[in-house]
Amino acid sequence: MTPQLPQVPVTRSMFGTGTRPALPILEARMLTKQYRMPGEVVEAVRGVTLGVMPGEFVALMGPSGSGKSTLLQLLGGLDRPTSGEVLLEGEPIGRLSDSDATRLRRERTGFVFQSFNLVPLLNVVENVGLPFTIAGQDPRSAELAGRIREAIALVELTGKERHKPDQLSAGERQRVAVARAIVTRPALLFADEPTGNLDFTTGIDILNALWRTCVDRGQTVVLVTHDAKAAAYADRVFVMQSGRVQDEIALGRRDDHGAAPLIARLAQLGL
Amino acid sequence: MRGLARYAWRSLVARPARTLLTILGIAIGVAVLVAALGVDSGLDVSIDRTVASMVGRADIRVAAFAETGLSAASLAQVEGVPGVALAAPVIERRTFLGSEAGRPVSTEPVTILGVDPSLEPRVRDLTLVRGTALAAGDGPVVLVTERLAASDAVDVGDSMVILGAGAPLRVKVAGVLAGDGPEVGSSGRTVVLPIRTAQALAVADGETMPDALAGISRIDVVLAAGATPDAVIATMGRTLSVEPYVLSVPRDVAATLRASTADVRATMALLAAITLFAAAILILNTMSMTVVERVRELGLLRAAGAGRGQIVHVVVMQALVLGAAGSVAGLLLGVMLAEVAAAWLRASGSLELDGPSISPAVLLAGLVTGLAITLVAAVEPARRAAGISPVAVMRVRADPGSLVRAHTGWLVAVVAVIGVVAVLLMPGGAADRSGPVRALVVYAILLTAVLLTPALLGPLARVVGLPFAAFLRLEERLARAAIRRDPSRTALTVGALIVGLAMVVALASVAGSARNTATSWLADVVPGDEILTAIAPAPVGDGGVDRQVAAIDGVLRATPLASFDLAFDGTRLEAVAIRGADFLADGRLVFTAGDRATALPALDAGGAAILPASRAARLGIGLGDAIAVASGAGLVQLRVVGLVDRSFPGRSGDAVLVGWGDAVDHFGVAGADSIAVRYAPGRQAEAQPQVEALARELALTAAPISRVAGAVADALDRLFGLLDLLALAAVVIASLGIVNTLSMNTWERVRELGMLRAAGMSRSQVWRSVLVEAGILGAIGALVGSIAGVAIGALLAGGGASGWSGVVVPWPAIGLSLVLGVALAMLAAAQPARMAGRMSIVAAVRGE
Repeated sequence: MTPQLPQVPVTRSMFGTGTRPALPILEARMLTKQYRMPGEVVEAVRGVTLGVMPGEFVALMGPSGSGKSTLLQLLGGLDRPTSGEVLLEGEPIGRLSDSDATRLRRERTGFVFQSFNLVPLLNVVENVGLPFTIAGQDPRSAELAGRIREAIALVELTGKERHKPDQLSAGERQRVAVARAIVTRPALLFADEPTGNLDFTTGIDILNALWRTCVDRGQTVVLVTHDAKAAAYADRVFVMQSGRVQDEIALGRRDDHGAAPLIARLAQLGL
Repeated sequence: MRGLARYAWRSLVARPARTLLTILGIAIGVAVLVAALGVDSGLDVSIDRTVASMVGRADIRVAAFAETGLSAASLAQVEGVPGVALAAPVIERRTFLGSEAGRPVSTEPVTILGVDPSLEPRVRDLTLVRGTALAAGDGPVVLVTERLAASDAVDVGDSMVILGAGAPLRVKVAGVLAGDGPEVGSSGRTVVLPIRTAQALAVADGETMPDALAGISRIDVVLAAGATPDAVIATMGRTLSVEPYVLSVPRDVAATLRASTADVRATMALLAAITLFAAAILILNTMSMTVVERVRELGLLRAAGAGRGQIVHVVVMQALVLGAAGSVAGLLLGVMLAEVAAAWLRASGSLELDGPSISPAVLLAGLVTGLAITLVAAVEPARRAAGISPVAVMRVRADPGSLVRAHTGWLVAVVAVIGVVAVLLMPGGAADRSGPVRALVVYAILLTAVLLTPALLGPLARVVGLPFAAFLRLEERLARAAIRRDPSRTALTVGALIVGLAMVVALASVAGSARNTATSWLADVVPGDEILTAIAPAPVGDGGVDRQVAAIDGVLRATPLASFDLAFDGTRLEAVAIRGADFLADGRLVFTAGDRATALPALDAGGAAILPASRAARLGIGLGDAIAVASGAGLVQLRVVGLVDRSFPGRSGDAVLVGWGDAVDHFGVAGADSIAVRYAPGRQAEAQPQVEALARELALTAAPISRVAGAVADALDRLFGLLDLLALAAVVIASLGIVNTLSMNTWERVRELGMLRAAGMSRSQVWRSVLVEAGILGAIGALVGSIAGVAIGALLAGGGASGWSGVVVPWPAIGLSLVLGVALAMLAAAQPARMAGRMSIVAAVRGE
């Protein structure tokens, strides 16, 4: 698949001047991931090629077993492809050493998972500031403390800084996870089924939080979901089936996040 | 790093019970180590003090080899050796004090030290607490020890009566010596008097006192400046020719004393190492459980950019905190335990020990060892934690802990470290170099037992679970399933129990073997129902003590026995003079070679000897060989007419048996040290009072054989009681591990238990299943531990100074270990079982 610009006008420019960069921030080229099982080889991802532009919100959507989570892990540098290439800001990241991959996760990517996102022993501020702590920086310094406060405010959890995870609701915990993922201002934010364990209303809060990071801060977001309503927040949706990108649906930057166009398109695809 | 340090600390604090139990386990291990090192150092201090008391400032001691002692001629020869600045003669005897009106009657013997008042103070300090010192030319004045003064109510100016070979000697107390005085082993009952006065005590009625000094027990030699002991000894070897003698230097005395304590020290050291092993297993298990519990968090940290080194750092920091806290607590506990151990050993009467010596070096050794073992045990869990892949963690939803199960193989490295520590720190009192090898074999047996446990868990659990299954079928099945959930964790939990219980069983086996060894000679060797002990050689033969005792109606036989030393091929051999005919008639001695019917009469005929088989094997002597032993007149040939299984115990093995004639004619035996009295069947009750009355008249101490055996058994029981206490330390540590493991097992199964509860299982069934799980673990530990313990007991019993005495299977101890293992395990499971039973079904099913 050749990377394309959204097919509808961008309603809000990330850069203010309307200038759009020419190169994707994230590229996958003929990515393949195979798992060797007893007696067989399973191809979780088959020859996927795609690109994500800076400031874009893209979704990888598909049913369970479609390979979307595996693709996310490859794109995020959590796993190595069997073949193909992943480029982040033009640099290949698919074959990094463990220490380089670690630095990548620390400095250039952020992750939100479906569950078990927070360290139970740390409060909200400490969980959000965890990437700074890991990097050897002092999260209590003025600059970093400010960024932590900003991230907490973005996910609308101001006032709950000293709460421990067991004192928060599921949705609040996930918002803290979002705040932690963006506090270092990573090049890319990856979210793997972040609303999977949440009810509909709480899930909306999370998606709104992700969308705000994208709109207000120009964060590039890659979301994995099986839910069309969640995918409807994206500017573009890559529909996956059996390890391949079956289709790419351009929804554009919309404030209403209506899922109807996406659902209609999925119906056309027979999904 | 500071932030992750906070996470590491909170992770410990979040599980206070597990943290505290682990610290306690480390503390116990370090405490046993400190106690063992403290007692060992204390023994060294006591030995040095003892040697200093014994030899004072003497550089060489020339001791009489024969009972008759050294003569003035030998003294003159010693004085004439170049390099000798001072030669102080000493006559040492044992006797009794006569009764005095108004004073308590004492039946305890005293040690008489006859010294030259002008020379002795230059060899050792005779510290007075009151009165005056002896002076040259003094007549019958004496110094008594404080203990003797107190027990016998004598003081300066009082008169005393000392019994001797002739008329009792009346003396006057001139001074009181501090404490127990200069003679070690006299129980503080020592009388110091001028040497010529002591010589007079050996003069019987009708004899005249020789002009020259005679009967000298030893000569303490102080060397001139610049002279070396080795050179002077070499000269003495060429010069001294009047009587046989034995030379020793203080280091020899110290070495002999150290060798006599070697077995106890080595066993305490082994127990300390075993306890540390148990503590290391606890640490490895605890850190592994912590990693398993936090595997998702650790995966999250990795996903957030934490490097492998940072994860290792977190786990290692936790281990350091546990190790430091445990080691410091262990030092405090160890100081107290050392005092208890020292007091126990003193009370057992088996060792001279003032008290433990806890030096800064001992404390540092305990601290460093505790930290080192904690860190080594934590390395493997840290390494596994660092290997957690964030992807793998997120993928494995049901049981992420399965990614990081403990590797019991790491125990090999832990044992290697403990072995190195043991070699570096443990006492080297044993001259026997096989000690460290035996210890390594013990570690190998225990390690093998622990490493084999995962493979044997299934069948063992099924077997030991049968009693539980008979009454609690559901609980037993759930328990076995829980045990098999994480075989390596179970192996580590049971492993510590195996280690502790194996040592309990091993010690019981060794104790049984020691008891058998110590008392078997009484049954196999001593031809009597009662032993009469003399403090001075008792005359034998016509008019002798043996004839007087044998004349009593009801006495079947009175057999004289005398201990002396033989010099053979540069070796000092203990020997006992016996009457072969008596032993033949009494059926004593078990012959392994030779015919008793000819061998025992051959002893009486002269020119013959019977050797204990173990001694003969060490010396390379066989039946029919002739051995040339030194006597006052030269070499005497003795033909070996028999080899026996056991003989009379000596300092370095069983004694050589020689006939009375040879002993008196060639080796200077002056009389019997003891008489073995055999009563006619059914006549003991009537004859014994007469025998004991005669014994009192003749200044003999009577002791029935049963009392001797009982005293030996009591002393052994007291000694092994302490060792059992130390072995139980490892069992306690194992119990702490069981608490941790069962708590963890319950935590991991919370959803499963919630589902079972939702399906109708009662609270009591839940907590019973946890208790049954503990009971099965305890039974497995006891079973495997008992098998390992018997093997270790056989190994330790076979390597002692007393030689091989066969495998003793301590069935009572095995039964006790089974009960102890199951009971302790179930006790340790009480709290986790209670937690499991009280679990909320809703919270459990939600996985909180």
